[in-house]
Parts: sequence; structure tokens; C-alpha cells
Amino acid sequence: MIAFDFHIVLSIVGVAFVGGIIGLDRTAAGQFMVSQPIVAAPITGWMLGDVTTGLVIGAVLELIWVLDAPIGTFVPADASIGAVSATAIAVIGSGGTALPDVIGFSILLTTVIVPLTMMIDVIARKQNSGLAEYALAAPGEDVSRKLALAHLSGLVVFFMKSFIIYLIVMPAGLAALLLFARMPKQFHSAMALFVKLLPLLGAALVARKLSTRTLDLFLLMGFVTATVFTQFIHVPALSVSVLVILAGLLGVRLSER
Amino acid sequence: MNDEGNKVKTSEMIKVFWKSFLIQASWSFDHMQSLGFAYAIQPVLRKLYPDQAEYESRLRAHMEYFNTQPYLASFILGAVARMEQDRVSGRSSSADISSLKTALMAPLGALGDSFFWGALKPFSAVVAVSLLMANAWWAPIVFLVLYNIVHIGLRAEMLFHGFMSAGDTAELIAHYHLTKMAKLFKAVSLTVLGGILGMLPTWRREFRMALPLPGAVSAAAGLLATLILVAILRRGGSPVKLMLGLAALCLALAYGGVI
Repeated sequence: MIAFDFHIVLSIVGVAFVGGIIGLDRTAAGQFMVSQPIVAAPITGWMLGDVTTGLVIGAVLELIWVLDAPIGTFVPADASIGAVSATAIAVIGSGGTALPDVIGFSILLTTVIVPLTMMIDVIARKQNSGLAEYALAAPGEDVSRKLALAHLSGLVVFFMKSFIIYLIVMPAGLAALLLFARMPKQFHSAMALFVKLLPLLGAALVARKLSTRTLDLFLLMGFVTATVFTQFIHVPALSVSVLVILAGLLGVRLSER
Repeated sequence: MNDEGNKVKTSEMIKVFWKSFLIQASWSFDHMQSLGFAYAIQPVLRKLYPDQAEYESRLRAHMEYFNTQPYLASFILGAVARMEQDRVSGRSSSADISSLKTALMAPLGALGDSFFWGALKPFSAVVAVSLLMANAWWAPIVFLVLYNIVHIGLRAEMLFHGFMSAGDTAELIAHYHLTKMAKLFKAVSLTVLGGILGMLPTWRREFRMALPLPGAVSAAAGLLATLILVAILRRGGSPVKLMLGLAALCLALAYGGVI
């Protein structure tokens, strides 16, 4: 069981700061995809000494949220906050390597707060509306300087939005984890199973968005290729991943003929 | 008028390129990327308009409403840089420049959203997840490399292409084949996704299910479960609702004594 000592407070503030910087990549700066769960969660795990938990959480949340895109004025779910918070809660709450049930519960906790983080994101973006008026310099003022100041202030708004959310979500999550430790065995088994089933849900979400068919031919081709090579020819999984990509390219070439 | 001082140099374009990474720093619902566009094009305006009043006037003009896919904004920035250069030499007007921005932002927004968000990102993600399931800790690095080679490469090239073509979208579409590439990435993504499901019995330890079935059969069970979820998704339902539903199902199985 964890206690909120100085080390934990320091970890929370450190993750909130790094999470805030990573969060800028979502919209405000660069968009190099460092903020995607598959990158953000392992970075958090590495910071806290448990990369594996970050990789596990990053993989499932990546599949689930990858096609939730910022098109037009739509503000997608903040998958970065979900990935970073879930990893931090699981690792800090375990005091070391997180077990599957704790990982499952942490993911569930951060799923519940998704609508809240989206709402706060909308508020931050509304806050930015005032920056355009501020950028219009009065006569005699330096227009370039006013523009740069107004525009770059948005970075502070986006950073603070994430930073504050982390400072609220992580302690709340860790407190919930204390209650989770007292839950019956069945609850723990359910959360361990939840983690194992999440990749299937992620795969379904991606398949649904990428194809209009329930059973797409390319999906089936990848499945058959991987099953044959792993189960019958016993090729190592890593090599099968590469073979499946090649099969996909070959399939595209054949379908073009 | 059209001397060396009134021509945009590569150094200004490089400054525009760096600044374009911050085009969405002040993104808002009503102004979107308006400040970001003015902020990014500023080095070109500074070069072309030595007269402070004219420079400020042009900078203010570029604070008008603007929104497109942030990466393809590079193409428009390049085109506008060229048009501003032409304006100085009297070959285009302020109205032409504003019209060009208005005409390009919506179609390039749609093209970019479909290619980058709808094809390249899921492709990089499923490849990385596939490697991660095969125990490759370096999968996140592969994700970043796959995505950013295309992202940063196109962003840089399109800035200069926009300048050279003065915003000719027909040439852009003919040159880059983004729609065709999007189709290719989507098809390969689906194949890799199928591959992930086919490798289910060999997934990394944290996800592996101890089913009392032969490997190929448990992989088929995984595929079937995924297809059932796809069918449910076709009837509606958000990821959050489905995740909560899945958690509820796991709880029911646990309390029902199935697991």
C-alpha cells in the first residue's frame, strides 16, 4: 500500500510537468506524435522506472484512440492524458512493477475521465479566442512582438491545461487505487482480464474506421498469413510482423491489377 | 522593384519552416490558425517590406481567418510567400493572396486529414503495435520514425513546392499522389491488424490468454471476438462506452465464476 510521501509528490509533479510538455505536441507544437499513447506512456513508465507498464498501456490505448482525429472544430479525446495518467497511477501505485489487474484498473479510471478532459480542452481553446484581439497592436506598438506574444501565449494555455489535469487526476487515481487494493479477488481477476481483451477492442475500432466491411479481405489476408507463419511454420513473431507488412504490400499490388 | 532585396531567399523559407511547427500554438474555435499563419509567414514579410507601415499592414492582413490541416499549411505558406513576392513586383494583389488562401485551405484540409490522420497515423501505429506485441521494446521508436520521415519530409518539400508552383493544387495532387498513398497505407494497416490478431497466441506475456485451445483456434476466436465488436460498433457506440461495457463484461464473468 502506498503513502503520499515526498517522493510520490515529487513523482506526480514531475510527471505532470513532462506530461504537460508532451501534451503540447497534440495540437500546439510540432505534432511529431510524441503525444501518442504508444510513445507518451513508455516515456512516463521510463521516468518512473517501469517501461514495460508504459508499453502495455501505450499499445492498447494507441489502438483505441488512433483514429479519433482532430478534424475541423472537433476536439478528440485527450489520449495523451489517459496514457500518461494510467501509466503513472499504475507504476506509482504499485511502488514498482505494476501487475495486470492494477494496469487494467488504472486504464479504466482514466477512461472514466475522458469526457472531463475533453470538456477542459474545449474551455482552453475558447480561452485562446481572446489572444487574437490581444495580437492586434494599438498604433505605435510593435506588431511583430504583440503577435508573437499573443500567439505563443497559447502554448502556456495548452501546457497549463494538461499540467493542472495531471495534478488532479493522478492523486485521485492513486487514492482510488488504495480502495482497489481492498476490493474482492473477483474484481482483481476482472481487471486482469480487461487488459487482455482491450487489444481486441482496439483492433475492432481500427478495423471499423479503416474499412466499410465487417470482414475486410486485407484483414483476413493478414490474419491467415500470421496464423500460418506462427502456428504451422513456427517463424518468430517479430519476423512474422515484417512478413505481414510485405503480404499487405503484395496484396495492394495484386488488387491494382 | 524586382531587385535582390525584394526576393525571398532560402534562409527566409527555412525560418518559415521552423515557425510552421507552431502554427497551432494559439488554436481557437473562432480564429483557428489565423495567428499561427501570420506568425509563420512573418520572416518573408519582414524581408519583402522594408517599409514598417506596409509590413505591419501585410502582417495584419494575414491575421484573417485561416484553418487547414497543419502539415499541408506548409504548401499554402510557400504559395503565399511566392504571391507576396509577386505582389511587390506588381504581379499580384492583396485580394489575390487572400483568395488563394481561402481557395486552398478547405481542399488541402480534407486531403491532409484523410492522408495524415486517416492513413499514415494508423499505419505507423498498427506496425508499432504489431512489433510491440512481438516483444520489441523499440516499437515506439519505429512508430516515430515511420511517421516523421513522411511528415517532416512532406512538410519541408511542400513549403518549397508551394513557392515554386505558386499554389498550383493540380500539380500538388499530380506530384504527391496522396489519395493513392492513403489507400495503400489503409490496406496495409488492415493487413497488419489482421496479422496482430493472427499472432494472438504469441502476444507478449501481459496480453497472452491461457485458453485451453490449439493456437490457430484461439487466434480464430480472437478474430471472431473482434468481428463481433466491429458489428457492435457499426450500430453506434463510442470507445469510452465500449471500454466501460468491456469492463462490465469482465466483472460479470469474474463474479459469475467463469474466470
